[in-house]
Amino acid sequence: MPEALVSAQRVSVRFGGLVAVDGVDLEVGERELVGVIGPNGAGKTTFFHTLSGVLAPSAGRLRVGGDDLTGKPAHVFAAHGVARTFQTPRVFRDMTAEENVRFGLEFAGRLRKHTHDAFDDARAILGYLGLAEASGLPAGSLTPARQRLLEIGMALGARPRVLLLDEVAAGLTESEIASTAQLIRRVRDELGLAVIWIEHAVRALMQCVERVAVLHQGRKIADGAPRDVARDPAVVEAYLGQEVNLGEAKA
Amino acid sequence: MTLRGTVLATIGAGVALAAMPWLLSDFLLSLALTCLMYAGLAVSWAMFSGPTHYLSLATSAFFGIGAYVTAWGLEALPYPAAVLLGGLLASAFAALVGAAVLHLRGAYFAVITFGLGELVRHAITFYEKSYAGTVGRIIADAPESDVVYLTVLVVTIAAVCACAAVRASRLGLALRGIGADEERAQTLGVHTRRAKIVAFALSAFFAGALGAAMAVRWTYVDPPAVFNPFIGFQTVLIAMVGGAQTLIGPLVSSVVFSLLTEFLRLRFPYAFLILLGLLLIALVLYLPGGLASLLARRRARA
Repeated sequence: MPEALVSAQRVSVRFGGLVAVDGVDLEVGERELVGVIGPNGAGKTTFFHTLSGVLAPSAGRLRVGGDDLTGKPAHVFAAHGVARTFQTPRVFRDMTAEENVRFGLEFAGRLRKHTHDAFDDARAILGYLGLAEASGLPAGSLTPARQRLLEIGMALGARPRVLLLDEVAAGLTESEIASTAQLIRRVRDELGLAVIWIEHAVRALMQCVERVAVLHQGRKIADGAPRDVARDPAVVEAYLGQEVNLGEAKA
Repeated sequence: MTLRGTVLATIGAGVALAAMPWLLSDFLLSLALTCLMYAGLAVSWAMFSGPTHYLSLATSAFFGIGAYVTAWGLEALPYPAAVLLGGLLASAFAALVGAAVLHLRGAYFAVITFGLGELVRHAITFYEKSYAGTVGRIIADAPESDVVYLTVLVVTIAAVCACAAVRASRLGLALRGIGADEERAQTLGVHTRRAKIVAFALSAFFAGALGAAMAVRWTYVDPPAVFNPFIGFQTVLIAMVGGAQTLIGPLVSSVVFSLLTEFLRLRFPYAFLILLGLLLIALVLYLPGGLASLLARRRARA
Protein backbone atom coordinates (compact mmCIF):
# COMPACT_ATOMS: atom_id res chain seq x y z
CA MET A 1 0.00 0.00 0.00
CA PRO A 2 1.42 3.42 -0.93
CA GLU A 3 2.14 5.76 1.94
CA ALA A 4 -0.77 7.94 3.07
CA LEU A 5 -0.70 11.60 2.08
CA VAL A 6 -1.31 12.70 5.64
CA SER A 7 -0.56 10.44 8.51
CA ALA A 8 -1.04 11.20 12.19
CA GLN A 9 0.33 8.56 14.53
CA ARG A 10 -0.71 8.48 18.18
CA VAL A 11 -0.99 12.27 18.29
CA SER A 12 -1.65 13.74 21.72
CA VAL A 13 -2.01 17.31 22.90
CA ARG A 14 -1.90 18.18 26.57
CA PHE A 15 -2.64 21.60 28.03
CA GLY A 16 -1.32 21.34 31.57
CA GLY A 17 -3.37 18.56 33.13
CA LEU A 18 -5.98 18.51 30.39
CA VAL A 19 -5.60 15.99 27.58
CA ALA A 20 -7.33 17.61 24.61
CA VAL A 21 -6.24 15.03 22.03
CA ASP A 22 -5.38 11.56 23.23
CA GLY A 23 -3.38 9.24 20.96
CA VAL A 24 -5.31 9.84 17.74
CA ASP A 25 -4.32 7.95 14.57
CA LEU A 26 -5.53 9.16 11.21
CA GLU A 27 -4.37 8.28 7.73
CA VAL A 28 -5.71 10.08 4.70
CA GLY A 29 -4.77 9.12 1.16
CA GLU A 30 -4.66 11.08 -2.10
CA ARG A 31 -8.07 12.35 -3.26
CA GLU A 32 -9.78 11.05 -0.16
CA LEU A 33 -12.66 12.99 1.39
CA VAL A 34 -12.76 12.35 5.10
CA GLY A 35 -15.04 13.85 7.71
CA VAL A 36 -14.11 14.34 11.35
CA ILE A 37 -17.01 14.73 13.72
CA GLY A 38 -17.47 14.75 17.45
CA PRO A 39 -19.42 16.52 20.18
CA ASN A 40 -18.29 19.91 21.43
CA GLY A 41 -14.97 19.74 23.20
CA ALA A 42 -14.03 16.47 21.53
CA GLY A 43 -10.68 17.91 20.44
CA LYS A 44 -11.47 18.25 16.73
CA THR A 45 -10.06 21.73 16.28
CA THR A 46 -7.04 21.04 18.48
CA PHE A 47 -6.33 17.97 16.36
CA PHE A 48 -6.59 20.15 13.23
CA HIS A 49 -4.11 22.59 14.72
CA THR A 50 -1.57 19.78 14.93
CA LEU A 51 -2.31 18.61 11.37
CA SER A 52 -1.55 22.11 10.05
CA GLY A 53 1.45 22.82 12.27
CA VAL A 54 -0.26 25.62 14.18
CA LEU A 55 0.22 23.62 17.36
CA ALA A 56 2.99 21.09 17.98
CA PRO A 57 1.68 17.81 19.43
CA SER A 58 2.85 16.85 22.92
CA ALA A 59 3.39 13.31 21.64
CA GLY A 60 3.03 11.36 18.41
CA ARG A 61 4.23 11.85 14.85
CA LEU A 62 2.92 13.71 11.84
CA ARG A 63 3.91 12.84 8.30
CA VAL A 64 2.88 14.61 5.13
CA GLY A 65 3.66 12.99 1.79
CA GLY A 66 6.14 10.75 3.56
CA ASP A 67 8.08 13.53 5.26
CA ASP A 68 8.15 13.72 9.03
CA LEU A 69 6.97 17.22 9.95
CA THR A 70 6.46 16.66 13.67
CA GLY A 71 7.17 19.89 15.54
CA LYS A 72 7.76 21.91 12.37
CA PRO A 73 6.18 25.38 12.11
CA ALA A 74 3.01 25.96 10.10
CA HIS A 75 4.77 27.42 7.05
CA VAL A 76 6.60 24.13 6.53
CA PHE A 77 3.28 22.29 6.52
CA ALA A 78 2.01 24.82 3.99
CA ALA A 79 5.08 24.27 1.83
CA HIS A 80 4.35 20.53 1.90
CA GLY A 81 0.87 21.13 0.58
CA VAL A 82 -1.28 21.36 3.69
CA ALA A 83 -3.75 24.27 3.63
CA ARG A 84 -6.55 24.99 6.01
CA THR A 85 -9.40 27.24 6.99
CA PHE A 86 -10.28 28.36 10.49
CA GLN A 87 -13.49 27.96 12.44
CA THR A 88 -14.12 31.70 12.45
CA PRO A 89 -13.03 32.99 9.05
CA ARG A 90 -9.60 34.57 9.29
CA VAL A 91 -9.37 36.62 6.14
CA PHE A 92 -7.12 39.67 5.87
CA ARG A 93 -9.94 42.15 6.36
CA ASP A 94 -8.22 45.25 4.97
CA MET A 95 -6.99 43.54 1.82
CA THR A 96 -9.26 42.94 -1.16
CA ALA A 97 -10.61 39.48 -1.85
CA GLU A 98 -8.16 39.17 -4.71
CA GLU A 99 -5.19 40.16 -2.52
CA ASN A 100 -6.30 37.60 0.04
CA VAL A 101 -6.13 34.80 -2.51
CA ARG A 102 -2.92 36.14 -4.02
CA PHE A 103 -1.32 35.93 -0.58
CA GLY A 104 -1.37 32.13 -0.63
CA LEU A 105 -0.11 32.15 -4.23
CA GLU A 106 2.82 34.41 -3.31
CA PHE A 107 4.04 32.19 -0.51
CA ALA A 108 3.21 28.48 -0.21
CA GLY A 109 1.65 28.46 -3.70
CA ARG A 110 4.75 29.84 -5.37
CA LEU A 111 6.85 26.94 -4.12
CA ARG A 112 4.42 24.31 -5.31
CA LYS A 113 3.88 23.14 -8.81
CA HIS A 114 0.81 24.01 -10.73
CA THR A 115 -1.79 21.26 -10.57
CA HIS A 116 -4.93 22.71 -12.14
CA ASP A 117 -6.06 25.67 -14.23
CA ALA A 118 -8.23 26.85 -11.37
CA PHE A 119 -5.01 27.49 -9.46
CA ASP A 120 -3.52 29.74 -12.12
CA ASP A 121 -4.10 33.08 -10.45
CA ALA A 122 -6.23 34.78 -7.84
CA ARG A 123 -8.97 35.66 -10.34
CA ALA A 124 -9.26 32.10 -11.54
CA ILE A 125 -9.63 30.85 -7.99
CA LEU A 126 -12.22 33.50 -7.13
CA GLY A 127 -14.11 32.59 -10.29
CA TYR A 128 -14.03 28.93 -9.34
CA LEU A 129 -15.62 29.77 -6.01
CA GLY A 130 -18.19 32.10 -7.54
CA LEU A 131 -16.60 35.15 -5.94
CA ALA A 132 -15.39 36.82 -9.15
CA GLU A 133 -17.43 39.97 -8.74
CA ALA A 134 -16.19 40.42 -5.16
CA SER A 135 -12.50 40.44 -6.15
CA GLY A 136 -11.98 44.17 -5.63
CA LEU A 137 -13.90 44.43 -2.36
CA PRO A 138 -12.19 44.51 1.03
CA ALA A 139 -12.50 41.05 2.53
CA GLY A 140 -13.87 42.50 5.77
CA SER A 141 -16.91 43.85 3.94
CA LEU A 142 -18.05 40.45 2.67
CA THR A 143 -20.85 38.52 4.38
CA PRO A 144 -19.70 35.81 6.80
CA ALA A 145 -20.76 33.13 4.31
CA ARG A 146 -18.63 34.69 1.56
CA GLN A 147 -15.73 35.17 3.96
CA ARG A 148 -15.82 31.41 4.53
CA LEU A 149 -15.66 30.84 0.78
CA LEU A 150 -12.84 33.35 0.49
CA GLU A 151 -10.94 31.48 3.17
CA ILE A 152 -11.19 28.35 1.06
CA GLY A 153 -9.88 30.49 -1.81
CA MET A 154 -6.90 31.61 0.30
CA ALA A 155 -6.18 27.97 1.06
CA LEU A 156 -6.47 27.02 -2.63
CA GLY A 157 -4.01 29.81 -3.42
CA ALA A 158 -1.46 27.86 -1.41
CA ARG A 159 -1.87 25.10 -4.07
CA PRO A 160 -2.37 22.36 -1.53
CA ARG A 161 -2.51 18.60 -1.81
CA VAL A 162 -4.75 18.36 1.21
CA LEU A 163 -7.32 20.86 2.34
CA LEU A 164 -8.34 21.02 5.99
CA LEU A 165 -11.75 22.57 6.50
CA ASP A 166 -12.71 23.55 10.03
CA GLU A 167 -16.48 23.90 10.37
CA VAL A 168 -16.97 25.67 7.05
CA ALA A 169 -20.72 25.07 7.30
CA ALA A 170 -21.21 26.50 10.79
CA GLY A 171 -23.74 29.30 10.91
CA LEU A 172 -24.87 28.79 7.31
CA THR A 173 -28.44 28.26 6.14
CA GLU A 174 -29.57 24.85 4.86
CA SER A 175 -29.17 25.82 1.23
CA GLU A 176 -25.77 27.40 1.88
CA ILE A 177 -24.65 24.22 3.62
CA ALA A 178 -25.80 22.18 0.62
CA SER A 179 -23.84 24.32 -1.81
CA THR A 180 -20.79 24.23 0.45
CA ALA A 181 -20.96 20.44 0.52
CA GLN A 182 -21.23 20.48 -3.26
CA LEU A 183 -18.21 22.77 -3.51
CA ILE A 184 -16.20 20.46 -1.27
CA ARG A 185 -16.93 17.52 -3.53
CA ARG A 186 -16.03 19.55 -6.59
CA VAL A 187 -12.73 20.57 -5.05
CA ARG A 188 -11.93 16.94 -4.49
CA ASP A 189 -13.25 15.61 -7.80
CA GLU A 190 -12.04 18.38 -10.11
CA LEU A 191 -8.89 19.60 -8.40
CA GLY A 192 -7.84 16.21 -7.10
CA LEU A 193 -7.26 17.30 -3.52
CA ALA A 194 -7.61 15.26 -0.42
CA VAL A 195 -10.05 16.95 1.97
CA ILE A 196 -10.39 16.57 5.71
CA TRP A 197 -13.56 18.23 6.87
CA ILE A 198 -14.45 18.87 10.48
CA GLU A 199 -18.04 19.68 11.12
CA HIS A 200 -20.43 20.04 13.96
CA ALA A 201 -23.46 19.96 11.63
CA VAL A 202 -23.15 16.24 11.25
CA ARG A 203 -25.91 15.48 8.78
CA ALA A 204 -24.59 17.46 5.81
CA LEU A 205 -21.14 16.02 6.35
CA MET A 206 -22.31 12.42 6.62
CA GLN A 207 -24.06 12.74 3.28
CA CYS A 208 -21.00 14.14 1.57
CA VAL A 209 -17.98 12.15 2.74
CA GLU A 210 -16.92 8.59 2.03
CA ARG A 211 -15.28 8.07 5.36
CA VAL A 212 -15.76 9.60 8.75
CA ALA A 213 -13.75 9.57 11.95
CA VAL A 214 -15.39 10.31 15.28
CA LEU A 215 -13.57 11.99 18.13
CA HIS A 216 -14.92 11.88 21.64
CA GLN A 217 -13.14 13.32 24.66
CA GLY A 218 -9.91 13.49 22.68
CA ARG A 219 -9.97 9.88 21.50
CA LYS A 220 -10.92 8.44 18.17
CA ILE A 221 -13.84 6.12 18.84
CA ALA A 222 -14.78 5.21 15.27
CA ASP A 223 -13.41 5.45 11.73
CA GLY A 224 -15.18 4.07 8.69
CA ALA A 225 -18.00 4.45 6.20
CA PRO A 226 -20.68 6.90 7.41
CA ARG A 227 -23.35 4.19 7.40
CA ASP A 228 -21.32 1.89 9.65
CA VAL A 229 -20.15 4.68 11.91
CA ALA A 230 -23.71 5.90 12.43
CA ARG A 231 -24.67 2.48 13.79
CA ASP A 232 -21.64 2.13 16.03
CA PRO A 233 -22.91 1.88 19.63
CA ALA A 234 -20.01 3.97 20.96
CA VAL A 235 -20.84 6.77 18.51
CA VAL A 236 -24.52 6.64 19.32
CA GLU A 237 -23.66 6.91 22.98
CA ALA A 238 -21.31 9.88 22.43
CA TYR A 239 -24.04 11.62 20.47
CA LEU A 240 -26.72 10.68 22.99
CA GLY A 241 -30.06 11.82 21.67
CA GLN A 242 -28.80 12.59 18.19
CA GLU A 243 -29.11 9.11 16.66
CA VAL A 244 -31.81 10.42 14.34
CA ASN A 245 -29.46 12.80 12.57
CA LEU A 246 -26.81 10.16 12.13
CA GLY A 247 -29.35 7.59 10.98
CA GLU A 248 -30.28 9.76 8.05
CA ALA A 249 -26.87 9.43 6.53
CA LYS A 250 -27.03 7.71 3.22
CA ALA A 251 -24.58 5.06 2.13
CA MET B 1 2.78 55.38 -7.42
CA THR B 2 5.02 52.68 -8.82
CA LEU B 3 8.22 51.75 -7.04
CA ARG B 4 10.28 53.25 -9.87
CA GLY B 5 8.33 56.50 -9.66
CA THR B 6 8.69 56.72 -5.89
CA VAL B 7 12.43 56.08 -6.04
CA LEU B 8 12.95 58.66 -8.78
CA ALA B 9 10.84 61.25 -6.93
CA THR B 10 12.78 60.58 -3.74
CA ILE B 11 16.14 60.94 -5.45
CA GLY B 12 14.89 64.12 -7.14
CA ALA B 13 13.84 65.56 -3.79
CA GLY B 14 17.23 64.53 -2.42
CA VAL B 15 19.08 66.42 -5.14
CA ALA B 16 17.00 69.52 -4.45
CA LEU B 17 17.57 69.23 -0.70
CA ALA B 18 21.31 68.87 -1.29
CA ALA B 19 21.43 72.58 -2.15
CA MET B 20 20.32 73.61 1.34
CA PRO B 21 23.77 74.04 2.92
CA TRP B 22 24.45 76.87 0.46
CA LEU B 23 21.03 78.47 0.87
CA LEU B 24 20.24 78.32 4.56
CA SER B 25 21.69 80.02 7.59
CA ASP B 26 23.44 77.88 10.21
CA PHE B 27 20.37 77.88 12.41
CA LEU B 28 18.00 76.86 9.62
CA LEU B 29 20.42 74.24 8.35
CA SER B 30 20.56 72.67 11.77
CA LEU B 31 16.77 72.68 11.86
CA ALA B 32 16.68 71.03 8.44
CA LEU B 33 19.14 68.44 9.72
CA THR B 34 16.83 67.61 12.62
CA CYS B 35 13.90 67.25 10.20
CA LEU B 36 15.93 64.94 7.98
CA MET B 37 17.11 62.84 10.87
CA TYR B 38 13.57 62.29 12.13
CA ALA B 39 12.34 61.64 8.60
CA GLY B 40 14.93 58.87 8.25
CA LEU B 41 14.22 57.46 11.71
CA ALA B 42 10.42 57.55 11.29
CA VAL B 43 10.51 55.97 7.82
CA SER B 44 12.85 53.23 8.95
CA TRP B 45 10.68 52.60 12.00
CA ALA B 46 7.55 52.44 9.84
CA MET B 47 9.30 50.01 7.49
CA PHE B 48 8.98 47.29 10.13
CA SER B 49 6.42 48.48 12.66
CA GLY B 50 3.96 50.02 10.18
CA PRO B 51 2.82 46.85 8.43
CA THR B 52 3.45 44.39 11.27
CA HIS B 53 1.96 46.49 14.10
CA TYR B 54 4.88 45.41 16.27
CA LEU B 55 5.47 48.47 18.42
CA SER B 56 9.25 48.72 18.57
CA LEU B 57 10.84 51.14 21.02
CA ALA B 58 14.33 50.02 20.10
CA THR B 59 15.11 53.00 17.87
CA SER B 60 17.14 54.74 20.56
CA ALA B 61 19.15 51.54 21.10
CA PHE B 62 20.05 51.35 17.39
CA PHE B 63 20.70 55.06 17.23
CA GLY B 64 22.96 54.91 20.28
CA ILE B 65 24.91 51.94 18.96
CA GLY B 66 25.56 53.85 15.76
CA ALA B 67 26.59 56.95 17.70
CA TYR B 68 29.08 54.96 19.74
CA VAL B 69 30.62 53.46 16.62
CA THR B 70 31.46 57.01 15.58
CA ALA B 71 32.58 58.02 19.07
CA TRP B 72 34.98 55.08 19.27
CA GLY B 73 35.96 54.74 15.66
CA LEU B 74 36.17 58.20 14.10
CA GLU B 75 39.85 58.54 14.89
CA ALA B 76 40.63 55.39 12.92
CA LEU B 77 37.88 55.44 10.32
CA PRO B 78 36.78 57.95 7.71
CA TYR B 79 33.38 59.45 8.56
CA PRO B 80 31.38 57.62 5.83
CA ALA B 81 32.90 54.28 6.91
CA ALA B 82 31.86 54.96 10.51
CA VAL B 83 28.31 55.69 9.32
CA LEU B 84 28.19 52.44 7.35
CA LEU B 85 29.67 50.45 10.20
CA GLY B 86 27.23 52.03 12.67
CA GLY B 87 24.35 50.85 10.50
CA LEU B 88 25.78 47.37 10.09
CA LEU B 89 26.41 46.91 13.80
CA ALA B 90 22.93 48.13 14.72
CA SER B 91 21.56 45.76 12.11
CA ALA B 92 23.50 42.80 13.46
CA PHE B 93 22.36 43.67 16.97
CA ALA B 94 18.74 43.84 15.78
CA ALA B 95 18.99 40.47 14.05
CA LEU B 96 20.44 38.93 17.19
CA VAL B 97 17.88 40.29 19.63
CA GLY B 98 15.12 39.95 17.06
CA ALA B 99 15.73 36.21 16.97
CA ALA B 100 15.25 36.19 20.73
CA VAL B 101 12.30 38.53 21.24
CA LEU B 102 10.28 38.66 18.01
CA HIS B 103 7.89 35.96 19.19
CA LEU B 104 6.58 38.45 21.75
CA ARG B 105 3.72 40.68 20.76
CA GLY B 106 1.92 43.80 21.89
CA ALA B 107 2.97 45.43 25.13
CA TYR B 108 5.57 42.74 25.87
CA PHE B 109 7.43 43.48 22.69
CA ALA B 110 7.25 47.23 23.29
CA VAL B 111 8.56 46.89 26.84
CA ILE B 112 11.38 44.53 25.93
CA THR B 113 12.57 46.70 23.05
CA PHE B 114 12.57 49.68 25.37
CA GLY B 115 14.55 47.63 27.86
CA LEU B 116 17.10 46.85 25.15
CA GLY B 117 18.01 50.49 24.85
CA GLU B 118 18.56 50.71 28.57
CA LEU B 119 20.57 47.50 28.54
CA VAL B 120 22.96 48.71 25.86
CA ARG B 121 23.23 52.13 27.50
CA HIS B 122 24.19 50.65 30.87
CA ALA B 123 26.51 48.12 29.27
CA ILE B 124 28.40 50.91 27.52
CA THR B 125 28.45 53.07 30.65
CA PHE B 126 29.86 50.13 32.58
CA TYR B 127 32.48 49.39 29.94
CA GLU B 128 33.60 53.00 29.68
CA LYS B 129 33.90 53.42 33.45
CA SER B 130 35.57 50.08 34.13
CA TYR B 131 37.92 49.71 31.20
CA ALA B 132 38.29 53.06 29.51
CA GLY B 133 38.13 55.13 32.68
CA THR B 134 35.82 57.73 31.21
CA VAL B 135 32.14 58.67 31.17
CA GLY B 136 31.98 60.24 27.73
CA ARG B 137 33.96 60.80 24.58
CA ILE B 138 35.00 63.98 22.91
CA ILE B 139 34.80 63.88 19.14
CA ALA B 140 37.87 65.83 18.18
CA ASP B 141 37.85 66.39 14.44
CA ALA B 142 34.16 66.43 13.52
CA PRO B 143 33.35 66.98 9.86
CA GLU B 144 31.90 70.29 8.65
CA SER B 145 28.18 70.80 9.18
CA ASP B 146 27.42 70.63 5.44
CA VAL B 147 29.17 67.23 5.24
CA VAL B 148 27.05 66.02 8.15
CA TYR B 149 23.93 67.38 6.50
CA LEU B 150 24.68 65.70 3.17
CA THR B 151 25.51 62.41 4.86
CA VAL B 152 22.26 62.40 6.81
CA LEU B 153 20.46 63.32 3.59
CA VAL B 154 21.95 60.34 1.77
CA VAL B 155 21.04 57.94 4.60
CA THR B 156 17.50 59.30 4.75
CA ILE B 157 17.01 59.06 0.99
CA ALA B 158 18.31 55.50 1.14
CA ALA B 159 15.87 54.75 3.97
CA VAL B 160 12.91 56.10 1.98
CA CYS B 161 13.90 54.12 -1.13
CA ALA B 162 14.43 50.97 0.93
CA CYS B 163 11.06 51.41 2.60
CA ALA B 164 9.36 51.85 -0.78
CA ALA B 165 11.15 48.76 -2.10
CA VAL B 166 10.14 46.68 0.91
CA ARG B 167 6.54 47.78 0.59
CA ALA B 168 6.46 46.72 -3.06
CA SER B 169 8.16 43.37 -2.42
CA ARG B 170 7.05 39.95 -1.29
CA LEU B 171 8.67 40.72 2.06
CA GLY B 172 6.34 43.71 2.37
CA LEU B 173 3.32 41.54 1.64
CA ALA B 174 4.51 39.05 4.26
CA LEU B 175 4.82 41.88 6.80
CA ARG B 176 1.28 43.06 6.04
CA GLY B 177 0.01 39.53 6.53
CA ILE B 178 1.89 39.28 9.81
CA GLY B 179 0.28 42.51 10.98
CA ALA B 180 -3.20 41.39 9.95
CA ASP B 181 -3.07 37.83 11.29
CA GLU B 182 0.31 36.31 11.92
CA GLU B 183 -0.87 32.73 12.33
CA ARG B 184 -2.97 32.90 9.18
CA ALA B 185 -0.01 34.24 7.24
CA GLN B 186 2.09 31.36 8.51
CA THR B 187 -0.45 28.74 7.47
CA LEU B 188 -0.29 30.24 3.96
CA GLY B 189 3.43 29.63 3.83
CA VAL B 190 5.07 32.77 5.23
CA HIS B 191 8.27 32.06 7.15
CA THR B 192 7.12 34.64 9.69
CA ARG B 193 10.16 34.48 11.92
CA ARG B 194 12.58 35.10 9.09
CA ALA B 195 10.47 37.88 7.58
CA LYS B 196 10.31 39.70 10.92
CA ILE B 197 14.03 39.36 11.64
CA VAL B 198 15.02 40.55 8.16
CA ALA B 199 12.73 43.59 8.30
CA PHE B 200 13.70 44.44 11.87
CA ALA B 201 17.41 44.27 11.01
CA LEU B 202 16.96 46.32 7.85
CA SER B 203 15.05 48.99 9.72
CA ALA B 204 17.77 49.03 12.40
CA PHE B 205 20.44 49.64 9.78
CA PHE B 206 19.12 53.10 9.01
CA ALA B 207 18.60 54.04 12.65
CA GLY B 208 22.16 52.96 13.41
CA ALA B 209 23.59 54.82 10.41
CA LEU B 210 21.72 57.95 11.42
CA GLY B 211 23.05 57.64 14.95
CA ALA B 212 26.57 57.33 13.61
CA ALA B 213 26.09 60.29 11.29
CA MET B 214 24.51 62.52 13.93
CA ALA B 215 26.98 61.71 16.73
CA VAL B 216 29.49 64.24 15.45
CA ARG B 217 26.98 66.99 16.11
CA TRP B 218 27.26 66.57 19.86
CA THR B 219 31.08 66.85 20.00
CA TYR B 220 30.74 65.28 23.46
CA VAL B 221 29.10 61.85 23.35
CA ASP B 222 27.98 60.11 26.52
CA PRO B 223 25.37 57.35 26.96
CA PRO B 224 22.53 59.53 28.32
CA ALA B 225 22.77 61.82 25.28
CA VAL B 226 22.79 59.22 22.51
CA PHE B 227 20.58 56.58 24.14
CA ASN B 228 18.05 59.27 24.89
CA PRO B 229 14.62 57.58 25.02
CA PHE B 230 13.12 60.85 23.79
CA ILE B 231 14.59 60.15 20.33
CA GLY B 232 12.91 56.76 20.26
CA PHE B 233 9.55 58.04 21.48
CA GLN B 234 9.61 61.01 19.16
CA THR B 235 10.28 58.68 16.22
CA VAL B 236 7.35 56.44 17.08
CA LEU B 237 5.04 59.41 17.59
CA ILE B 238 6.06 61.03 14.33
CA ALA B 239 5.48 57.84 12.41
CA MET B 240 2.15 57.13 14.10
CA VAL B 241 0.87 60.66 13.79
CA GLY B 242 1.85 60.70 10.14
CA GLY B 243 0.35 57.31 9.48
CA ALA B 244 2.78 54.40 9.77
CA GLN B 245 1.02 52.41 7.03
CA THR B 246 2.11 54.95 4.44
CA LEU B 247 5.40 56.25 3.14
CA ILE B 248 4.49 59.90 2.84
CA GLY B 249 2.85 60.16 6.28
CA PRO B 250 5.99 59.80 8.39
CA LEU B 251 7.89 62.12 6.01
CA VAL B 252 5.41 64.97 6.25
CA SER B 253 4.91 64.44 9.94
CA SER B 254 8.66 64.49 10.68
CA VAL B 255 8.95 67.97 9.18
CA VAL B 256 5.80 69.24 10.89
CA PHE B 257 6.79 67.74 14.21
CA SER B 258 10.41 68.84 14.21
CA LEU B 259 9.45 72.40 13.37
CA LEU B 260 6.64 72.39 15.91
CA THR B 261 8.86 70.95 18.62
CA GLU B 262 11.50 73.55 17.90
CA PHE B 263 8.97 76.36 17.90
CA LEU B 264 7.37 75.24 21.15
CA ARG B 265 10.77 74.72 22.74
CA LEU B 266 11.93 78.23 21.88
CA ARG B 267 8.61 79.88 22.66
CA PHE B 268 7.59 77.94 25.78
CA PRO B 269 10.82 76.44 27.13
CA TYR B 270 9.16 75.10 30.28
CA ALA B 271 5.76 74.06 29.01
CA PHE B 272 6.74 72.65 25.63
CA LEU B 273 6.69 68.98 26.60
CA ILE B 274 3.27 69.46 28.21
CA LEU B 275 1.96 71.11 25.05
CA LEU B 276 3.48 68.38 22.89
CA GLY B 277 1.84 65.75 25.08
CA LEU B 278 -1.58 67.39 24.86
CA LEU B 279 -1.28 67.69 21.11
CA LEU B 280 -0.46 64.01 20.85
CA ILE B 281 -3.39 62.95 22.97
CA ALA B 282 -5.68 65.01 20.76
CA LEU B 283 -4.21 63.51 17.59
CA VAL B 284 -4.41 59.93 18.81
CA LEU B 285 -8.01 60.45 19.95
CA TYR B 286 -9.29 62.21 16.88
CA LEU B 287 -6.99 61.04 14.10
CA PRO B 288 -5.98 57.49 14.92
CA GLY B 289 -5.04 56.68 11.31
CA GLY B 290 -2.55 59.54 11.26
CA LEU B 291 -2.31 62.57 9.02
CA ALA B 292 -2.19 60.29 5.98
CA SER B 293 -5.75 59.21 6.73
CA LEU B 294 -6.91 62.80 6.13
CA LEU B 295 -5.50 62.57 2.64
CA ALA B 296 -7.09 59.17 2.06
CA ARG B 297 -10.43 60.50 3.30
CA ARG B 298 -10.28 63.42 0.90
CA ARG B 299 -9.38 61.14 -1.95
CA ALA B 300 -12.27 58.84 -1.08
CA ARG B 301 -14.68 61.77 -1.16
CA ALA B 302 -13.43 63.05 -4.50
